[in-house]
Amino acid sequence: MTNLTRYGAPAEGQSAGTLHVVFKVAQSEYLLPSETVLQMESFSGATPVPGAPSYVIGIVQIRGRVVPVVDLRLRFGAGVGETVLDNRIVVGQYGDRVVGLLVDSAREVVKVTAAQLKPPPPILNHQASGFVKAVVQVGSRVMMLVDFARVIGEEPLHGVD
Amino acid sequence: MAEVLIVDDSKVMRDMVTSCLRPNSALTVTHASSGLEAIERLSLTRFDAVVLDLNMPDIGGIEVLEFVRSQDKLRALPIIIVTTRGDEASRAKALGAGATSYMTKPFTPEAILNEVSALVASQAAGA
Amino acid sequence: MTPRVDLKEFLSAYVAEVDEQLQAANAKLLEVEASSHAGHANPRSVRDLFRALHTVKGLSAMVGVEPAVAIAHRMETVLRVADTAGGPVALSSVDTLLQAIREIELRVREVSQGKEPSPAPRAILDALDKLDLSSPLSTRGPATALDLDPAVASKLAPFELDLLSAGVRNGRRALRADFSPSPAKAERGFSINTVRERVGSVAEIVKVVPVAVPPTDEAPGALSFAILLLTSASDEEIANAVGIAPESLQVVMPATPTLESATPPPVVAAGDDDLEPLSHRRNIVRVEVSRLDDAMEHLSTLIVTRSRLSRAIAELTSTGANTRALAEIMRDNARQLRDLRAAILRVRMVPVSEVLERIPLLLRGLRRESGKQVRLELDAGNAELDKGVAERLFPAIVHLVRNAVDHAIEAPADRTRAGKPAEGTLRIQCFAQSNTRLELTVSDDGSGVDRASVARRVGRDLATDAALLDALCRAGLSTRDQATTTSGRGMGMDIVKRIVVDQLGGELAMKTAAGVGTTFTLRVPLTISIVDAFTIERHKQRFVVPVSMVEEIFEIEPAAVRFGPSRGMAEGSRAGIVERRGEAVPLVDLAWSLRLAGVGVAPRQAILVRRGGEPTAFGLDRVIGQQEAVVRPLIDPLVQAPGIAGATDLGDGKPTLVLDLVALGGTLAARDGERAA
Repeated sequence: MTNLTRYGAPAEGQSAGTLHVVFKVAQSEYLLPSETVLQMESFSGATPVPGAPSYVIGIVQIRGRVVPVVDLRLRFGAGVGETVLDNRIVVGQYGDRVVGLLVDSAREVVKVTAAQLKPPPPILNHQASGFVKAVVQVGSRVMMLVDFARVIGEEPLHGVD
Repeated sequence: MAEVLIVDDSKVMRDMVTSCLRPNSALTVTHASSGLEAIERLSLTRFDAVVLDLNMPDIGGIEVLEFVRSQDKLRALPIIIVTTRGDEASRAKALGAGATSYMTKPFTPEAILNEVSALVASQAAGA
Repeated sequence: MTPRVDLKEFLSAYVAEVDEQLQAANAKLLEVEASSHAGHANPRSVRDLFRALHTVKGLSAMVGVEPAVAIAHRMETVLRVADTAGGPVALSSVDTLLQAIREIELRVREVSQGKEPSPAPRAILDALDKLDLSSPLSTRGPATALDLDPAVASKLAPFELDLLSAGVRNGRRALRADFSPSPAKAERGFSINTVRERVGSVAEIVKVVPVAVPPTDEAPGALSFAILLLTSASDEEIANAVGIAPESLQVVMPATPTLESATPPPVVAAGDDDLEPLSHRRNIVRVEVSRLDDAMEHLSTLIVTRSRLSRAIAELTSTGANTRALAEIMRDNARQLRDLRAAILRVRMVPVSEVLERIPLLLRGLRRESGKQVRLELDAGNAELDKGVAERLFPAIVHLVRNAVDHAIEAPADRTRAGKPAEGTLRIQCFAQSNTRLELTVSDDGSGVDRASVARRVGRDLATDAALLDALCRAGLSTRDQATTTSGRGMGMDIVKRIVVDQLGGELAMKTAAGVGTTFTLRVPLTISIVDAFTIERHKQRFVVPVSMVEEIFEIEPAAVRFGPSRGMAEGSRAGIVERRGEAVPLVDLAWSLRLAGVGVAPRQAILVRRGGEPTAFGLDRVIGQQEAVVRPLIDPLVQAPGIAGATDLGDGKPTLVLDLVALGGTLAARDGERAA
């Protein structure tokens, strides 16, 4: 169980960049801003919720709170992943909602400056159903910035609720 | 229909007395939760009988009796005071202050029903 | 023949009211004790105490709880003497009076459990008979100048005059406001009850005296009430409360008293924000918790119907119809259901200050037993909490209080040596952290948690307060090797954690500094829902089903289950029919309806539920047991599914689903024709 300390946004004038959590899903690396991430937990199974979307692996209890967990491997269309020790639940927050993302591993934190963010190429964007907000180059690594809200199902309203 | 005013700061007590009087369908019951409220109601509405608890906050049953009896129109109003066993001193004072009759807790449902019905009936006959 | 009236029907109402009176009696007695400690008389509290016991005696006599009558009668006799004498109450008598109240409480408890009340113990009756409440301190002050009608002034008791003098000396004004009731004023909301309530919130009412006046339009009942009060508020505020002109207010006692021969003994005068003792109870309705649970269940069915409507509209949309207007109505409906749920949950709220009412009495006992001096500061403000949460939280708070007095706060001599005041302070504060969470802190200015000692016990370095708290919450750990009399065995910090974090889904935190003090912070949800539920198992997975929706649990005889024609469906997904008490009941495998993974044996037991009169039986492996479950609703839209009422913690730290089988029955028809996955 690792607790990630959250850092606030850097003071004005500093272009040192903001901290982001790096995690892996099926060999690709993704980013989420640290301020979106509440904590990281190891994964030891979830209670399935019948009737929930297929990419929701179930609910877990973290610090007394019941948290739904989205299996990012399924969500990103990478197929059913293995359950290995490295698996982590990245618990993120969007407004009132607290949702966990099940990933293959999550070990790093990097600083990303605005300059390093590039919009995703149109082809990639279409394929990714809006899950990817930006492409980030850090050294020789190409990582993708995830749109947390979209991943947890925040869609624009069409029809009902 | 005879109007009966039940005065007691305990809701349970008021509900019990109401329940006891229910078998007499000619009686309509109104509640007052304090002596002050009772005096207020008596000044504005006509009642045929009052069941008055002596132990109340803000103004005791004796004071209520004294005030009510000082009003001409309420001098003949039947007032039954309710006391507890062992409270002989208060009972004597109350009767002296003008209570019509008294009931000692615990009383049976029949006892209070009979007492109120009798007082109301004799009042109607006398009027 | 009209049925005989049985006053025993009022038993539960009796218990509720007497509980309130006894709680008030405890509080008043502690006030009287505090006043006597400080050398004052407290005639108002003595009077209130007397009246509370008198009420208890009367009610107990009516419903026939003799032992309570016997004890209350003696207390009343003793208190009547004290009330007439008017002086401070002897400190030595307080213990006996407290004990007597406890004995009455015990009998009321017995009666509420349907038992016969045990006879009043001879010892307490004798002790009360021998009790002499009088104390040597003198009480009457000098005559004070009163600018009041003799007719009204003569109605004031000596202690009421003293209250007026004391109030004026403290800088408040003594005023008289006259209120004449009339039907017109009653219609506008001005009756003696409402006027007293309003005045009570800006002033202290000392006495209300009825006065006969000639009948006029203003006073058609020939009645006026002279309200004598003490206040620091303005004339306008008082006049508004009564509904009269400010000019008609009269000052009844001049600001500078004309006579003052000797310094009169201080009399306890209540502050301006003290409401009259019972006035705040007038707009209160007592509600049985089970009725609220019923209301919540009705709401749940409304929500299920709404989901069906929602799905139907989605289907309509997919055929191309324009459902924009419907969508808007659905959004309104969602908001209204949310508001209704919030309103029902609000009814279950109790003020936190009420929950903490018992703490002063508890602390009194702890002070005695430990010989420590501790002052209690309670600051709950207007915070409110769900009754269910409050009941579960209370034992946790009690343990923290015990811990503080027992371990944290040092003996008076040690404290003085350390440069601290001999009296320790225990502070309990509470405020609403957000509109879904409450934060409660229990802090002391004691010696702090012994970090080194705990570290030694767990064999680890404990650098942070969080780590120290974690270690303290390990079962079986106690910083003293022997259990002391006050903390006892069994209720360790681990149980506090289990209540606050696991059961209630809250947070527990601690800050401690050696020699300075410790603060525990508890954060809990404002509302939770608790149901009596069965734990069941199917395919090795456990679920929880509220007892209230279960009509029957029965064994399945495989031979008795009939299967009709099925269009080539897989084994597990076929619904069968069983006969129960002359009814044909569809039997569905819970594994199929919940799409459970894995393959298991055929179900051996079934739970029967009814929906709109139609029965459905769900097959399962076994019913494991029955218990109370705290249901946490699944609020995230990702996990809102029909048939799932929420999640609970059965003690293993993993969420267990709470099933709504009635709703699940409703969804089965929708899945009609589906093949098993």
